[in-house]
Formats: sequence, structure tokens, C-alpha cells
Amino acid sequence: MNSDYAEYAVKRVLQAVVVILLAYAFTFVVISVLPGDPVTNTLRNPQNGFTEDEIGRIVSYYGLDRPVHVQLWESLSRLVVGDLGVSLRSGLPVDRLIGDVLGSTLLLATSALAVALVLAFAIGFGTQYLPKRYGQGLLRAFPSLFLSVPNFVIGLVLINVFAFQLGLFRVIDSEGGLATFFAAIALGIPVSAQVAEVLIANLDHEAGQEYASVARSRGLGQARLFLRHLLKPSALPVVTVIALTVGELLGGAVITEQIFGRTGIGSLVERSVTTQDLPVLQAVVTLAAVIFVVVNLVADLAYPLLDPRVRLADAKPREREEAS
Amino acid sequence: MNTFRAARRVRPPGRALRMIVGLATVVALAACGPGVAANSGGGSGEPTQGGDITFLIDSLGDTWIPNNSAISSFQGHIWGHLTDKLVYVDEKGAVSPWVGESWEQNDTATEFTLHLRKGVTFSDRTPLDAAAVLANLDIWAKGDAARGINPIGLFPKTYDHAEAVDAATVKVFFKAPTLGFIPTLGYHGSILISPRTIALPAAQQADLANDLGSGPFVLSSWKEGDSVVLKKRADYDWAPAALEHQGPAYLDSITYKLVAQPSVRTSAVQSGQADVAYNPSPQELKSFADQGFTTATPRYLGFVNGFAVNTKVAPFDDVKVRQALQHGIDREEIISTVYTPDWLPAESLFQSNVPGATDHSADFAFDAAKAGGLLDEAGWAKGADGVRTKDGKPLRLTLYANPYLATSKSVDELIAQQLGGIGFEVDIQAFDVVTYGERVKVNSPSVAAYEVTRSFIDAGIVAGVLTDANKGENWFGLGQTDPKLVELATGVASAGTVDARASLLDELQGHVLQQGYFVPITQIVQRVYLQSPKLHGVSYNGIAYADYYAAWLG
Repeated sequence: MNSDYAEYAVKRVLQAVVVILLAYAFTFVVISVLPGDPVTNTLRNPQNGFTEDEIGRIVSYYGLDRPVHVQLWESLSRLVVGDLGVSLRSGLPVDRLIGDVLGSTLLLATSALAVALVLAFAIGFGTQYLPKRYGQGLLRAFPSLFLSVPNFVIGLVLINVFAFQLGLFRVIDSEGGLATFFAAIALGIPVSAQVAEVLIANLDHEAGQEYASVARSRGLGQARLFLRHLLKPSALPVVTVIALTVGELLGGAVITEQIFGRTGIGSLVERSVTTQDLPVLQAVVTLAAVIFVVVNLVADLAYPLLDPRVRLADAKPREREEAS
Repeated sequence: MNTFRAARRVRPPGRALRMIVGLATVVALAACGPGVAANSGGGSGEPTQGGDITFLIDSLGDTWIPNNSAISSFQGHIWGHLTDKLVYVDEKGAVSPWVGESWEQNDTATEFTLHLRKGVTFSDRTPLDAAAVLANLDIWAKGDAARGINPIGLFPKTYDHAEAVDAATVKVFFKAPTLGFIPTLGYHGSILISPRTIALPAAQQADLANDLGSGPFVLSSWKEGDSVVLKKRADYDWAPAALEHQGPAYLDSITYKLVAQPSVRTSAVQSGQADVAYNPSPQELKSFADQGFTTATPRYLGFVNGFAVNTKVAPFDDVKVRQALQHGIDREEIISTVYTPDWLPAESLFQSNVPGATDHSADFAFDAAKAGGLLDEAGWAKGADGVRTKDGKPLRLTLYANPYLATSKSVDELIAQQLGGIGFEVDIQAFDVVTYGERVKVNSPSVAAYEVTRSFIDAGIVAGVLTDANKGENWFGLGQTDPKLVELATGVASAGTVDARASLLDELQGHVLQQGYFVPITQIVQRVYLQSPKLHGVSYNGIAYADYYAAWLG
């Protein structure tokens, strides 16, 4: 098993490196074929009234007049030594830009994940044990409802009600505790939908199993049955779903951060996309690829730990089957 | 705030279901917002010391490298408080002393002598003396391409060099008459920065903390793309006399916070969480004013919003067709539909507050019948579908909505309707800033009407844009084929005094408008402010930036 594990780990790490480099090069090519760049765009703003000669000299300083493959090669060589370059838009080093905002996004994403999990498990429990007349059926509609309400609508409602009407938090203090909490709710709600869907389906499945009927017939309380017998097997596939929601969390953060006035990876991406700030976008895409790959790797490794019956060798097939 | 809470019951929170049921009302919620507790603001009283204000802005722009950003609409707010200028230009375009205490010029406006105010220091206590002014003049005029530093847009290209006569006197030399030099020193790009900052490479200048000025506020903290916090400088003592306040600012601090959602910005001011919301929608201003808030729509000095017509593009090579465009646009309808009465119709190609602007509105007054008559005379006959044709070709015009002006597309849509009524077939193209910059250019053979929005301090700038004499921008595609225009523009450029220039400027505006080269629409208000009624003493300079140096909370 140890040599299996080593081979497995090496393969995954190599895969990850390839994914990251491809993401990097792909971003470069896509952005480079689009017309314009932030330096030229700023200089060409009619308010400035610069001559072509003046524009040309600055563009040349940034190396933007060189062929795309030369620029890509230089960019890749810099990446290898850990130099992420300088933002074309702001002129600040890219690692500083990312360092400034990464913490805020990680806090938002993990809080949103916590919100999503609490919501999903509450809904899951409710669908099993809430009496029918108190809306058990209605609870089952929640995941699709959560998915269909746009993220920004939830955000605007939360801000209007809790910031402006109730005064619980201030929009200017966007990184404050309560502001972060409500932003996490806005981001967590759509994510909880996916987790809840999978959880409900598995709870239904497990509740119908023989061992559950036996437990019930022996007079086991509902809460104990849920916690001791149904939860663990039903929660396993949730780990896979959580790994898949990382993309959702990062993507949703773009909008949530905008609405709540937070500065994070999302808002950095938004600004960099609109201005075609290539070095920043490449760094962010690379970072997202790293996070995605690492989280999925961790999920794969955690799987056998949660269920000792799952051996490493057959961890992958099971994961695929359950996730689909 | 308390009275409001008591008066208006809000549903208990925490009921997810109710919240979702309430989703449909989100637009209404956002539009109404909480009411304001009526606050007379004690506006009559004396200024009070202290207080902190929050300014919600829609973007913090791109970079903080002073030369590369000082012209930006967003950074202009912050630079205005962190830095001083050599002269002050008010909203009427009047120039008055600031760090430049007085100045003289020779008869041909090619040599200027600036006498500096003594005792002015940057926030690191280094003196703002002649050497510092020299360093600034050089970097404004030439930039430093080797370090990625731009020159300042609109700084006179005729600049030759400057020299220090003594510690408080600077002499500036130009290769040709440059009457606009002194007013340009009050332009938002001409900010005085510490020579230590100027010597830094671009990547370090991009960190606002390294950019030292001599203004009434200094940087307290900043976070890229998020906020900038300024605090008052206690030993500030060189404000322009025009602001009618000396010594340190009244306010302790100003926080500029980026909030992208317009409704969140305005609701935050309405609920008392912030003091200023930048750029609310024009249509909402009246309701805010009715609720007791202060609204401000200062105009800036510059060209009016209008179209520069490319005379090389048929059928606009025909003066009658160009004049039909001018008379076919109903400016009053644009103001009543898209804007509010705070906006003014254009009277010339300059905003009416520009010194030297004269009223030529009769030359392009709305008159649909006259416009139709001109088109008839030009041989464009109306077909059954209402579109005029000549030699089988329809009378067609494409308008490119200006992405730098939020209301441009709505205005173009209305213009398309109005021109459609007199037989034009108008279509509108709206591009993002990047595509617009690539596709829509002055002199492009596909762009018959280029929408102009450009601020300036001195009307002398026309000499460099109307024709291609002296590498001019050649807005109308005329080259130098209109000798009268070249003569007038040259006369404006080479005038030695403002008085001698005034009649030439008047004649030039008349000529450009009578020939239909420029189609004015409305005077531009590019900066709109919604303010708390508690905030007093705000001033607006010639570029319509709100200045909080003399502002106070009451």
C-alpha cells in the first residue's frame, strides 16, 4: 500500500503541475489575442491627448510591443523562479496584490463553506424528521430554490435588510465580523444547495436500508439514529461535493465581494479582467488551479480515512460512482 | 436614526423563507431605502472642528503612479486632498494664486516667471522650493519612458525648459507662445509631488504610501482596490485664498471607500452610514433632494458633449447635411428625458463656464423644419419609409456611444429618434472601453461622428485639435483645407494676451459651428454627488472635484 500510495501521490503532483502550467499558458494566449492592453488603453483615453510617439515609448517599456511568444517565454521563465511580475494596470508587484487580498477571500470562502454545511445538514435532517405538516416536503424544494436565486439578489437583500434597515453592520466596514458573516451567507446559500441535494439523496437511500429499519424497530430515537447510523455513510459523498464546490466558492466570491464591497481575489479578478491585466490574471488563474488541485487531492486522501472499508486502490472508482 | 427605527417596523430577520418570499421586493427596497431622519443640519452655524467623513466611490481607478493617474477621474478626488498645485482654478475658470504666489510673462507668452510661496513643505517636511518645482515641471512635460512614467496629458507640448532663479523663483521657457501655461498649472494633472517620490521607479510610485505631496491631508492607510483613508495635516498653512479658509482642515479624516453598486452607495448615505455617494443616477437626484439631501452637479471646464463630424466621410462632406444634423437635435428633450434641469444645453463647443466661451446657440438651434429643408436642398429626398435617399443610397449615420460617459447610450438613442424624424437612418454601436479605444478613433474612415467629452483648463487647446497644423489631432478630417480655420487656430495659439485672443476665440467658435464641423449637445456633468445634509462648506474646482479642505460637519 505504501508504494501504491507513493506512485499515486507522484502521479497526482505531476498532473497538478501540468494543469497549472497549461492554465498559465492558456490564459496568456487567450488574453494576448484580444485587442488592447491596459497600458495602451490608459494612454489612449482621449482625456490624455498623448501622441502615438509618447504612447509607443511607454508600451515598449512594458515590453508589450514584442511578439506574443517572446512575452510568453519571458513570463514563464519568471514564473519558474517565483517572480509573478508587475501588474500592468496598477504598476504594483503581482505577489503583493495577491498577498493583500488572499486572506480576505480565504476567510469568506471558508465561512461560506461553514454556512453551506450547516444549512445543508439542517435541511438534510429536516427532510428526514420534520413532520410533514411543518413543511418537510417544502424543505426538499430548498436546494433547487437556492440554486435558482442569483447570488447578487441574495446579497442585495441581506445588505438592505441587515445593514440599512436594521443597522447590524456598515457597508464601509466591509471586512468586519458581521459584514463577513452576511457575505458568507450570501455566498454559502447557493453552495449549500449542491451539498444538500447529495445529502438528501443519500439519507433517503440509507434510511431505506435494512439496518435502519432494524434500528428503528429496536426503538432507537430519531436523533440518535440520524447521528449514529445515517449521517456517516451519507456524509461521505459530501466530501467529494465539497471539493467540487471550491470552484463555486471562488466564482461566487467575484460577485459577493463586489456587492459587499470586499476586496478579495474576486474583486481583483474582476478588475483585472476588465482591464486585461495579464500578469495578475495569470497569477490568479495559477493560484486557483493550485487551490483546486490541492483541495481535490486532500479530499481523495481523506476519503479512506473517513471510511476504513475504502482501500486506496479502489478509492477512485468509488468516488466517481458516488459523485455522479 | 433612532426615530427612524421606531417609526418603521421591519420584519424580524432570520426567517429564511420570508426572506426568499421577499426577494421580489428587492428592487423596491433598493429604490426606496430607509427614509432620512429630517435633519436641518444646523447649517447656519460656524464651522466646527473635527469629524470624519466617508465618501463612497464607484471605482478607485487604475494606478497611483502620480503622472499616470493624476488625470484619472477617480484618483483626482484623492490627489486633490493629498497635493497642492501652483495655481487654483475655480469652477468659473478664474485663476488665482496658490503655491505660486504671483507670476509674470513676456509679451509673446513664451517666458514665464513664477514666484513661490515660502514655507511650503511636503509631508516629509522637505521644502517645496524652486528645485522641487523644476523636478515636477520636467516630469510633467517629458515623463520618463525608461522608468514607465508617462508625461502629463495636455501639458503644453511647447515646453522647452525651466530654471531656478533663486530658491523661490522659477523661470519657464517655451518654444512658442503658450498662453494656456498658467491655467494648466491648476489642472488636476499638475499636482506637486516630492522630488523624492519623482525619483522612485514606477513600481514604488505605484504604492500610494510612497507618494508624498504638500496637501491639507496626508495618507493614513490604503488598500488597493478597496479604500484610501486620509487624515488632516496639522501644520498645513498654505491654502489658496479662493477657498476662504486658512490653516489645517476642519475634518479629521476622509475615507474613500469603493462600493461598486450604485444603489448600495446611495442607500448607505440615506441610512447615515456614509456621507457622500459619488455618481448616483441623474434621474434619482430629485427624489434625494426632496428627502433633504444635498445634491451637486458641478460642470467642468472643457468641451461640451457633442459630435466632431468627420468631413471626409460622405455625405458629411456636404455642409448642408452637417447643418441638418445640428438643427435636427432637440437638446431640451434630451435634458428633460435623460437628465434633469441641473444639466444645461450646449451654447457653443465649449462649456459655458470656460473663459472665452461665447453663446452661439442660434447657429445650431433645434428646428426640424429647417433641418428637413437643408436636406431637401442637398438633394436627399424622403422615401415612403421616411428614410431619405440620394442616388439610391440611404442617409445613414452610425453613432458610437461613449463608454466614458454613462448616459451616452440613452442620449444617442434619443438622438437616433430625433434624426429619424427628419429622414436619417441612425444605428447605435455600444462598445466597452477597450473595444471603443480600438475601433472608434478621430479620423477613422468608419466614424462620421466622434463623440467628444474632454476637459481642459484653457480654451487655447483648440489650436491643437481642430486641424492637423503642428501635429494637431485634426478632429474634422479637414487637414489644412479650411484656410480660415487654420488662420483662426494659429491666431489663438500665438496670441500673447488673453484679451487679444478673446475675439479670435469667438470668431473661431462661430466658424466651426456655422460650418457644421461640430454638433454640440449638452454641457457635461461628469461628476454627480449625493451628500449628507450634515456636511457643509464643500467647494468644487474647475474640474468639478469636490474639495473637503474647508468642509465641516454640523
